[in-house]
Amino acid sequence: MFRLHDVSYAYGGSKTGVAALSHVSLDVAQGEFRWLLGPSGAGKSSLLSILSLEVQASSGMVEILGVPVRQARRAGLARLRRRIGAVKQDFGLLPDMSVFDNVALPLRLQHRAEAEIAHEVHAIMKWVGLENRLDALPPQLSGGEQQRVAIARAVIYRPALLVADEPTNALDERQAGRLMRMFHRLAELGTTIVVATHNDAIVAKYPAPTIELVHGHLVRDHG
Amino acid sequence: MARQRYHDGLALRQALPGRFLPFLVGSMAFLAALALAGGIAAHSLSQRWTHGAGAVTTVQVPGPTDPATTTAAMGQMPATRIDAVLAILAATPGITDTHRLSDAELRALLAPWIEQTGDPSLPLPAVIELHTTPGQDVAASVLPRLQAQAPGVLMEHDSVWSDRLAALAASLQACAGLAVLVVMTVAVCVVMAATRAGLLTRRQAIGLIHALGATDSYISGRFATRVGLLALWGGMCGSVLALPMLLALSQLAAPFTAMGDAPATAPDWHDLHAWTALLPSALLWMLVIVPPAAGLTGWATTQLTVRAWLRRLP
Repeated sequence: MFRLHDVSYAYGGSKTGVAALSHVSLDVAQGEFRWLLGPSGAGKSSLLSILSLEVQASSGMVEILGVPVRQARRAGLARLRRRIGAVKQDFGLLPDMSVFDNVALPLRLQHRAEAEIAHEVHAIMKWVGLENRLDALPPQLSGGEQQRVAIARAVIYRPALLVADEPTNALDERQAGRLMRMFHRLAELGTTIVVATHNDAIVAKYPAPTIELVHGHLVRDHG
Repeated sequence: MARQRYHDGLALRQALPGRFLPFLVGSMAFLAALALAGGIAAHSLSQRWTHGAGAVTTVQVPGPTDPATTTAAMGQMPATRIDAVLAILAATPGITDTHRLSDAELRALLAPWIEQTGDPSLPLPAVIELHTTPGQDVAASVLPRLQAQAPGVLMEHDSVWSDRLAALAASLQACAGLAVLVVMTVAVCVVMAATRAGLLTRRQAIGLIHALGATDSYISGRFATRVGLLALWGGMCGSVLALPMLLALSQLAAPFTAMGDAPATAPDWHDLHAWTALLPSALLWMLVIVPPAAGLTGWATTQLTVRAWLRRLP
């Protein structure tokens, strides 16, 4: 779960930067699934970056999984990041590491045993249908395959909060459907999920409470 | 199912190649070893000069068998001047040893002049060598008492000469220390530059690993371990390369230092113990300490550099 109170964010600093979010307040409970909607430039990616601790809000209060972000120490933030999964638009895969190693990376940072890591990676990669591409490098994969690898890496450690930026962009309808069913299943198991999308069709097909931003302002926060 | 390959995402073998840094650190260690050796040699020479010839005071007693002044005036059993002088010297604090030169030693010492005069029966003064505590000038306090008992007594102490040598040795030690400091500063700068280059090479990976929850200590620890090991290796190479040069210099310096009784010929090439015996123990310890010092310096510098760089990430 997370809470934002009067949060603003500006690129390049709070005084001289370009405002991306203005006075946004949100309260999302554990196990909720939310669509994050809005036109390009509305501030969706900025909001997801704040939730995944990639950036700090310029002002306001951010509390994620019960941790007040501004007061947390760096080691505490690192621990918190290990409970947050993020799927980015650019996938964020390391091009010189194999698919296996990319997906295994979060588990290795948690110092899991190699045998357990191998088991988990094979299971998740089988689920996303890429169990035969474990030794491939990301540049050798199609856009859709890279997206599936990024999704696998984001969910392999069953995060308490999952944020996804256009996760169905490069997926076909069948794969997008599978992904949405997995997201709903994760939410049932207690993961709080926020998915940003422009895809009206998938929002209509999988109705859920929405957060809508326009020009950095929150204009809708309900189902 | 379990894989042999292990990747932490940082790919430090690419970010910090295994040749460049050890070569530079090895060169620094080599220079540091030479500078430290110079410092140790200067210290050794200084010790020898201070405690050796430079610390000797010579007392000349003319008419050594003549009666001493006080005993003659008091009408007591006349004591000789040399006995009176030796008694005063023995009771004087700061004098660690006295040695009266025998006739044979004296004549050997004066042989060039006696032969020139052609008169071996020339009456000679008694000569006494005094060893004094370093830094203590006993001549000023004891000479009037000696002259009171034995008029015409002379004392010679080459304190100006030995003080200048000691000052020279201290200057050499300071120069060696400064050289080591400069070498260490350059080594730290080299490690910082290499680490920053490595950070820039892997900044995308570091950003991603940071976002996945890696702590600063994890990332800096990985970098520091890699750099520390490379620096340790470089330090070992530098120490090993410095060894032959230091052995050669030790051989050359042996007559001037406490190693004066070193063998004139080089030991067999395979007799490691004999070779290492040529070096002062301080120098051997220094060669042993340089590699871990290089490794520790590399490790600590990298830790600080990486942690400072990571501060730019949220």
